[in-house]
Amino acid sequence: MEILSYLTIPIQEPILILFVALGCFAGVYIGAIPGLSATMAVSLLVSFTFGWETHSALALMIGIFVGAVYGGSRSAILLNIPGAPAAVATALDGYPLAKKGYAGVAMGIATTQSIIGTLIGILVLALFTPVISKFALNFSSIDYLLLGVMGMMMAGSLGSKSIFRGLLAAALGVLLGTVGMDTMTATPRFTFNILYLHTGVDYVIAMIGLFGVSEALIQITHKDAKAVRQKIGRIVPSLATCRKHLPLTLQSSLIGVLVGALPGAGGDVAALLSYDTAKRSVKNPDVPFGEGSVEGLVAPETANNAAIGGAFIPMLTLGIPGDSVTAVMLAALMVHGLKPGPNLMNTSPDLFYLIVACLVLAAVFLVIFGLTGVRLFTKIVEIPKGILLPLILILSAVGSYAINSSLTDVFWMFGFGILGYFMKRYDYPVAPCVLGLILSSLLEENFRRGVMLNGSIGGMFLSIFHSPISVVLFVLILVMFTTQTKTYKSWRDKRQGMKKTQ
Amino acid sequence: MKKRKILAMLLAAGMMIGCLAGCGGSAGAEEESTDTQAASTGAYPEKDISGIIQWGAGGGTDSLMRPLATLAEAQLGVSIVVENKTGGTGSIATQYVYDQAADGYTLLMGAENPQLYSALDILELTYADFEPVFLIGDETVGVVVSKNSPYTSLTEIIDAALASPGTVTLSTTGTGGLPWEVASFLTAVTGATFNQIPYDSDATAKAAVLSGECDFTICKVQSGIEDYKAGELKFLSMLATEPVEQMSEVPLITAEYPDFEQYLPWGPFYGVFVKAGTDQAAIDTLSAAFETAFNDASYQDLLAGFNINALGYTGDEAKEYLDNWQTNTITALVNSGAITKTLSELGIE
Repeated sequence: MEILSYLTIPIQEPILILFVALGCFAGVYIGAIPGLSATMAVSLLVSFTFGWETHSALALMIGIFVGAVYGGSRSAILLNIPGAPAAVATALDGYPLAKKGYAGVAMGIATTQSIIGTLIGILVLALFTPVISKFALNFSSIDYLLLGVMGMMMAGSLGSKSIFRGLLAAALGVLLGTVGMDTMTATPRFTFNILYLHTGVDYVIAMIGLFGVSEALIQITHKDAKAVRQKIGRIVPSLATCRKHLPLTLQSSLIGVLVGALPGAGGDVAALLSYDTAKRSVKNPDVPFGEGSVEGLVAPETANNAAIGGAFIPMLTLGIPGDSVTAVMLAALMVHGLKPGPNLMNTSPDLFYLIVACLVLAAVFLVIFGLTGVRLFTKIVEIPKGILLPLILILSAVGSYAINSSLTDVFWMFGFGILGYFMKRYDYPVAPCVLGLILSSLLEENFRRGVMLNGSIGGMFLSIFHSPISVVLFVLILVMFTTQTKTYKSWRDKRQGMKKTQ
Repeated sequence: MKKRKILAMLLAAGMMIGCLAGCGGSAGAEEESTDTQAASTGAYPEKDISGIIQWGAGGGTDSLMRPLATLAEAQLGVSIVVENKTGGTGSIATQYVYDQAADGYTLLMGAENPQLYSALDILELTYADFEPVFLIGDETVGVVVSKNSPYTSLTEIIDAALASPGTVTLSTTGTGGLPWEVASFLTAVTGATFNQIPYDSDATAKAAVLSGECDFTICKVQSGIEDYKAGELKFLSMLATEPVEQMSEVPLITAEYPDFEQYLPWGPFYGVFVKAGTDQAAIDTLSAAFETAFNDASYQDLLAGFNINALGYTGDEAKEYLDNWQTNTITALVNSGAITKTLSELGIE
């Protein structure tokens, strides 16, 4: 009964509904602009809502959070610029769909999948919080390393036919990821005594440059080409489509929630991993992955929104943020005099259910704000190139500057744009490069931690067999690896051949 | 077709040149604006002030600075535009503020880290190159283990570490971070050394202890108190001269190791600074505004909520605090062998 009264707080205080709606609306647009992120918006709100009542402040923040995670897909689909790192995988199949004239369909699917993902994430948050928080806490350094290795295994196949080219691009990303002051030892690496290299390469900057600016540069070569007429038919995907992708949706949501709940990995890793898993598990997609496959859009969009519910789990039960947005929200709770930690659920149970209720409301508003603007948004792709391309460049510059208010970042961004242009011209995929950048610190830091904890590389390897989580991840990696080998493939073909002859 | 490709290449090259030109252009503009400011003689402040926070949004420093800035604005009559410039343990922000004119229009809002920059070779600058506007407060820290830990006192940890050096694991936030600093205090006093495992934030370092991946860590009261109340974490010892309210049953470190006295009181602190050479009248105006903001009841509540020991120091009092902090910490770092520089190299007697 009490739970019900907590869940209906927004109905008792209708102003909260308004705040969630406002946040969600703003979030969609903040998310869509590359460089502007939910983290940034929520942190601005911390001081803005300093004097506010806690419930209203939280409602606004949750609205923005959900809206912005979804909004990242907009620019990924329409312009090939992921609005946020969690939307990198969305661009891989979303943009090809838009190029074929299916931008509306792609946005429709991204919207419904985001909503379903959010709702599944909330469901897990509401029902399985104690179990998942225990799982997240027991995820050791070696497990993060294995997760990173799993992510790296897609480098060879991401956006390219040639494994060699994919690996080379990923290696470049990993190398760039090591630039800057090593946080573990405070030793500068590849900084050449330039202070502004100490911060290292921000992967959001790299993403904006490699995806957005390089795409604009490439398109200048076809500046007179007629924009693709967008087919505006049905935007909301049919129930049959949703049902067809249901197994994939559930699988991606699960990955999203679990990875989202890990303090050391967030929506970006979740989206990439679920994309990779989809690629392996979907046997016969209508269109190959990377060329506008609907499955390639369903997986990351479901996962990154499911990660929202996941991120709240360690934040509410342990006082440890699941991602950067929940980290800021933790600070906000403290500014408002609340005490996040293991007792939060006992001392203020209303807060937990208020968050659940606001998340549900945000998912509802996502339906409204996500689906209403689609027709208008598809027009963006139809804007003449001469107008659109400069706009993309301006947007990219503004977005890069906004992240750290740093001009250096804008130069980095254009540098990456030029690098991306030449990579694309010579047929090297850019996605593995961003993947390498995102995963390099996860891999390196956890590898070093694993070795330091166990005294040696051998010791670290043996410690895999001490924890069930590590064993499962290790076996998964082995399976992923062996199913890619020639021996396995020829064996499988032979077996299928035998079945047929029987 | 070929022509178009060449056009694209030219544009790419043009952009690169544009970037470089932009670089030079902006530097020129900055110089000009400095001149005009120097020439004007109006009362300070006559335009908006920018506040540069060393650490990211949502961090401890950020959460303390933004509300304080909001309250101080009302006193100054102009806006304090707060920005986070993160990276390099706060060195990017420190250098940035140092690169601006010493006119009182750019504030550095930071934590204790710059006091160790020269010791760690991160940057040539320390707070000696700045003038303190206002020191907000500092935090008490303690030694924590998980509830399942076999260790029941700090002495047991130290003895275990002395018996087999390098086997007791300490989760840290990297070189220059709080647990690393305290570990060198412990080494300087007791001679024990630990296997230090760096994590990327204090939350993940704490999680490593909660999960049993590491034996112990050093926690601020603020970040450990809720886990302590819930019985998840045990505070074994407090680095303080007086018991902490709400945790008075935790023994003080001097009870077990009296030699620690020389380094206390010690804790990470937060303050607002301007570049050295700023007009004293401007500093006084700022100090007065921040003091009023600091004394506001809502801000005092916030400090209590964060378990910050309020300082409220300005002028010479602040400078003395900063000097003591730096001397104590660097002495411990040198004595423990955590850094190879000598005290005289770092200009400390």
